[in-house]
Amino acid sequence: MANHDYVIDNGTGSAVRADINSALQAITTTNSGNSAPSTVAAGMLWWDSDGNTLYIRNTANDAWVPVSQRRNIIINGACNVSQRATTTAAITAAGYHTLDRYYTTMSDSGTMTMTQTADGPPGFLNCLRYDCTTADASVAAGARMMQSYRIEGQDLQGFKKGTSSAQSFTVSFWVKSNLTGAAVVELYDHDNSRQTSKLYTISSSNTWEYKTLTFPGDTTGAFGDDNGKSLELQFYLCAGSNYTSGTRQESWAGSTNANRAAGQAWQLSSSTSNDWSITGLQLEIGENASPFEYKSFGEELALCQRYCTKIAPTTTNAGVATGFARTTTTMYAARDLPVHMRTTPTLTFSGNTDFQIQYLGSTATTTAMAASELSADTISFQATVASGLTAGQGMYLRDLDGGSSIIASAEL
Amino acid sequence: MEISAVKYTAGLDGNNINVKVTTTDNKEFWVPIEPANADYQEVLDWVESGNTIDEA
Repeated sequence: MANHDYVIDNGTGSAVRADINSALQAITTTNSGNSAPSTVAAGMLWWDSDGNTLYIRNTANDAWVPVSQRRNIIINGACNVSQRATTTAAITAAGYHTLDRYYTTMSDSGTMTMTQTADGPPGFLNCLRYDCTTADASVAAGARMMQSYRIEGQDLQGFKKGTSSAQSFTVSFWVKSNLTGAAVVELYDHDNSRQTSKLYTISSSNTWEYKTLTFPGDTTGAFGDDNGKSLELQFYLCAGSNYTSGTRQESWAGSTNANRAAGQAWQLSSSTSNDWSITGLQLEIGENASPFEYKSFGEELALCQRYCTKIAPTTTNAGVATGFARTTTTMYAARDLPVHMRTTPTLTFSGNTDFQIQYLGSTATTTAMAASELSADTISFQATVASGLTAGQGMYLRDLDGGSSIIASAEL
Repeated sequence: MEISAVKYTAGLDGNNINVKVTTTDNKEFWVPIEPANADYQEVLDWVESGNTIDEA
């Protein structure tokens, strides 16, 4: 490990030689050390020996940016993947409604429409948008609505939470709303019931603004190194007094509801004129926000499919699965999932009569669909028809009229 | 989700392999008997609050 200020001091011959050798050692070790070099320059490299990470100094010489490493922990940060739907109206309850990975936490906060909207700031085609369609101007004490993002503990180990070398969390995003003023962003640690919140401020209405927030590391409470829900990043959109009457905790501490959204200056549910949009969401290790890490649509879709896979033929009558007849009225079918899911998924069929079985030149429309054995890699299910099958006969299940889908969900 | 009914589904060998959940707005889906599945966690909460899963 070696750092050097890259200034060769005056001195005796041996001292100058030692200084040069020290500089050369710093070069050959890529300025390695467990803390950043104190003398910095744009384009400089630093090998973080503690984090085993190579950083490069950015052009403005005000931040270290990781090199050749996935930085953004958020999947679908550019809001391009929306398997379930691109628009869901009349939202009054929590759930995964449209864009993949984005969970709506909601109770008693009016009625919203959530859309994937082609209206982003430069560099982003799409955003996530909420429109208030039924107002609830008198926000109840226990009301709240958040745009939430849930993360597995095994994907958070780089933050070294619960250790003496805990790392900071930096969140960056683009936001736009007709509302102006302060709003709360929260990190909630589900493994240890700890949280911290910070404010961002929307300065101009209906204008995309770029925000960055850095939360301190937490030396208390490690994230579970597993596939469970460990961290939730939450943007408050409504908050009743149960969540705002305390004092905001800008450092990690045990969770007290009254502190969680203290400082929230507006309520999205206050008027049907209100809307709120976000895109370019990034969560990364360290104290500085680096430029948004773009990924291809295919990469993002594959990452999303760990949590939600929608099997929806894009061509009418396209095949869905192969199988055989168990009886004269039931077909047993199975198919692989495109990626290993987080856990065994929940299965939802678009409708009992959306599919068709094809066999020996004949077809039969399904009357019922039901899941059979499920796993994180494969799904199997039974399709029922009125009659006509022969037990043991090979057959395949296909889309009937372009509207069929099967959703496998293993969300957090 | 607001659950209105839950019923076990039996596999080919007769053992329970998942549960069919019906919600108050008449949506249906099949949930594996897997504690890591968030929907099954909700089913367990529903049972803990005094409800019963119907036999297959």
